[in-house]
Amino acid sequence: MQDYVLLMVGAALVNNVILARFLGLCSFMGVTTRLDTAIGMGLATTFVITVSSMLNWGAQEYLLDPYGLGYLRTVVFILVIAAAVQFTEMTVRKVSPPLFQMLGIYLPLITTNCAVLGVALLVVEGKMGLLGATLFGFASSVGYSLVMVIFAGLRERLALADVPRLFAGPPIGFIVASLLALAFMGFSGISTH
Amino acid sequence: MSIGIDDLTPTSAPALVEGTARVVALEGDRVWLEPEPRSGCGTCASAGVCGAKGIGTTANRLEARRFPLHDHLGLSVGERVVVGVPENALLKATGALYAIPLASTLGAGAVAQWAAGSDEVTLAAMIAGLALGMLAARLGAGRLGACGDLAPRLLRRAAPGEICERD
Repeated sequence: MQDYVLLMVGAALVNNVILARFLGLCSFMGVTTRLDTAIGMGLATTFVITVSSMLNWGAQEYLLDPYGLGYLRTVVFILVIAAAVQFTEMTVRKVSPPLFQMLGIYLPLITTNCAVLGVALLVVEGKMGLLGATLFGFASSVGYSLVMVIFAGLRERLALADVPRLFAGPPIGFIVASLLALAFMGFSGISTH
Repeated sequence: MSIGIDDLTPTSAPALVEGTARVVALEGDRVWLEPEPRSGCGTCASAGVCGAKGIGTTANRLEARRFPLHDHLGLSVGERVVVGVPENALLKATGALYAIPLASTLGAGAVAQWAAGSDEVTLAAMIAGLALGMLAARLGAGRLGACGDLAPRLLRRAAPGEICERD
């Protein structure tokens, strides 16, 4: 039990997928102009990363390892992620068309989010069991969502600030992102392994 | 000029999440709207220029997302309008759609791992938990829909050049 808690704290805060591993930076800069889009994207990504971590663990354990197909790992994982996104989109559309109208826009963007593939590859590297892999995926994506929401809140405030023209827009965004990364470095004091 | 932190607090936070849509058909007192494509970078209108039709293309996805609304503005085909959804409805919707299935998947997996200690059993339990969670999400979404929370509202005609992102 303690192992799982430490694994999750480590994945969400200490080795944050955006600020420590530098994955998913395009959505980090692109979808954080508004808080509501950041929340929508964060939750959709959380769902897809968790489900695809579970499915990718199955593909690795029951297909790639037994048949010595490890060299196809990246291709297979990309296929599994794309299938998971498509499955989620179809299910959401079936479960509730109004929800699909509101939230379906974020799903296609996730297929090309490198954080999803990165987490799947980290799971293999960590040689985790199924529950550990799924919890690692879940915690990593919670960390991703947390940073997205914090950064979106900061950018909404920055939009009202009197920023010098030279720094307006992406430059001040990058400066704030680096300050946020420095703040998250404080979590590295927590020993998780 | 110095600005205090209190000056940066948004004073007129919108209660509605707004988006732009285009009128594609008229049907009595209803209009069929197609949401304009949005991309992460905020280039709403230009993101739809890849006009190829087919499964998975932007045009195909947009066609699948058409929705009807009561027309109280006297709109005609081709006009662009601004529609809005309450912010709290968006949060409730994401909660119902993603949080319930995730909680049931992880809960089922944890219980199975604790009870059986086998990865095969855990995998089967997680898939069953995901399916049950989706069913629960369907019920939750149905309840939200019955309250009318999820229905978008037709707000106004879009100004020329108006896009859905607020930058």
